[in-house]
Amino acid sequence: MQRIYQAAALGFIGLSAFVVWESWNLEYYTTLGPGPGFFPLWLGVAMGGLSLVWLVRISGRSGMPKDVALFPQRAGIVRILSILAALVVMAGLMNLLGFQLMMFLFLVFLLMGLGRQAFWVTLVVALLGSVGLFHLFGGYLDVPLPVATVKLLANLGL
Amino acid sequence: MDAIQNLFMGFTVALTPQNLLFAFLGSVLGTLIGVLPGIGPVAGVAMLIPLTFQMTPTGAIIMLTALFYGTQYGGTITSVLLNVPGEAASAITCIEGYEMAKQGRGGAALAIAAIGSFIGGTIATIALVLAAGPLTRWALEFGPVEFFALIMLGLSLLMGLAGKSMIKALMMGILGMLLAMVGMDPVRGLPRFTFGRMELMDGIGFVPVIMGLFGLAEVLENAEKQFAQVFAAKMSSIIPSRKEIRDSVGPILRGTVIGTLLGLVPGMTGSASSFLSYIAERKVSKYPERFGTGVIEGVAGPETANNAHANGALIPLFTLGIPASPTVAVIMGAFMMHGLIPGPFLFKEHPDVAWGVIASFYVGNVILLILNLPLVGIWVKILKIPYGLLFGVILAFMVVGAYSVSNSAFDVLVMTLFGLIGYLLRKLDFPLAPIVLTLILGPMMERSLRQSLDMSQGSLGIFLQSPIALVLLALAALILIAPAFKLFRRGKGILN
Repeated sequence: MQRIYQAAALGFIGLSAFVVWESWNLEYYTTLGPGPGFFPLWLGVAMGGLSLVWLVRISGRSGMPKDVALFPQRAGIVRILSILAALVVMAGLMNLLGFQLMMFLFLVFLLMGLGRQAFWVTLVVALLGSVGLFHLFGGYLDVPLPVATVKLLANLGL
Repeated sequence: MDAIQNLFMGFTVALTPQNLLFAFLGSVLGTLIGVLPGIGPVAGVAMLIPLTFQMTPTGAIIMLTALFYGTQYGGTITSVLLNVPGEAASAITCIEGYEMAKQGRGGAALAIAAIGSFIGGTIATIALVLAAGPLTRWALEFGPVEFFALIMLGLSLLMGLAGKSMIKALMMGILGMLLAMVGMDPVRGLPRFTFGRMELMDGIGFVPVIMGLFGLAEVLENAEKQFAQVFAAKMSSIIPSRKEIRDSVGPILRGTVIGTLLGLVPGMTGSASSFLSYIAERKVSKYPERFGTGVIEGVAGPETANNAHANGALIPLFTLGIPASPTVAVIMGAFMMHGLIPGPFLFKEHPDVAWGVIASFYVGNVILLILNLPLVGIWVKILKIPYGLLFGVILAFMVVGAYSVSNSAFDVLVMTLFGLIGYLLRKLDFPLAPIVLTLILGPMMERSLRQSLDMSQGSLGIFLQSPIALVLLALAALILIAPAFKLFRRGKGILN
């Protein structure tokens, strides 16, 4: 438990070090006044200082949080990772295969695989969520969603 | 007198058929978001910003603000009938509201909550109308020095109110500012933290970040357990008894005052208003021992307070250009996406927008009263949609929302990344509200600081030369130092 918090604190310290390093390469001060590196440098320093204080506190006995389970059981972790993976695949392939096909597959996976919904319910929602949203946003709200760059799919209107 | 004339002008804008439709849509969507567990007002407003791209700026802001205070109405329904708050500000309503529902008085509880919300929201809007003139005149005297000091005060209030986890609040505030640093430097126009990627040149979009932190993180948290169907208590008649109406008058008035005043304070959440109102009602009650058994005062006060808070929280945004809560910060972002800067100049340069939106609050509150009284049965039916279906639909809208801000699949990845970050931060008990506020205020804060230092050729003494800035900065320092003194005196950990 304590190690998770310590790891988080170290992660924040690492982030601060990275910010300070990056800011160092930016101009700190110009003839006109503070440069682009001024603000992020001090933010990085402040973040590092606070993270260090937090690390010291949680490493001491008084600062320890109560011993409760932080993360879920295996099945819960699988569900969470499945959702994240589905989103990454969706983002990675939506320009290639088009919004409609990807959203259809995305919804089928989520609703049948994780939500345990009936086939017909999944089919109707997936069609509305893919074809329906594509036409609603593209046709009525003037917000175009991507069409497939694969010629075969593009010819099918996807 | 000016305020009344301006308000009339505002009504001519708000009552056009198109803007009425937007207020109606915002109210319906807001109630829906409030009703549905698993999506709060912050992510809800962020998710629906892309719907407004083709609207006029006035119509867009009318819809988004109606959506915001609509969530406060909707949250009550699930609190009373399900014992599950649709959004955090209605959590306290579960105590008395659900007890009333179990006794067959759920309809009366919802009716009183809707009436209280209407009165609270309307009176807070009157406060906004009255405050608009003097506050904007005062704010027009602000230069970059005073503006920087004002933002510092707002942020320190936010951190100061973070209570036991001030150090975490400060860390999150800085994290939000660091995220705001990505992209072009606002003064010199040089790229920072972009790593040569074109997608980062315009900065990290606040819509995908907020949808990830607040919307996706919530979905991931719900996914820890197998999605379960929720069961609502049976609805009863929505007509309250005479005694219930009589007992609600005092709590509604007190809730209005508490909510409106706390709404003005940056960092104060709607939950704080409703909680304080509940405590106040128990204190002034002749029979405090009955609280917890289904007392109408425990519904009327908090529900009025959270709606008055929602409308009151818009006062600093409209008059000073400072958002008082994460949802209001998202609305501020929407203003900017439509080319408008909220604050004193909005009243000067776009009075039709400013007063049109303010007038629409009255219209929206009337619409919400109608939606929430006779149509409550429809909202209850929506609760029967299984979460196993709902979460897929929510994720589909999030993907579309994140993508359509700048037609980029990269933003969907950003949302996913921040969903994971938000989930982990929640697990480690980090407050997320400071990230939103500093993400949106960060660039303004940096710009005003650097402009001030440019003016003084780098001397920090410029902040001591302006009496307004001096007072604001002294207050900010006091708010930040006070908890450290408390810690020193008590010798135990508020800095966890």
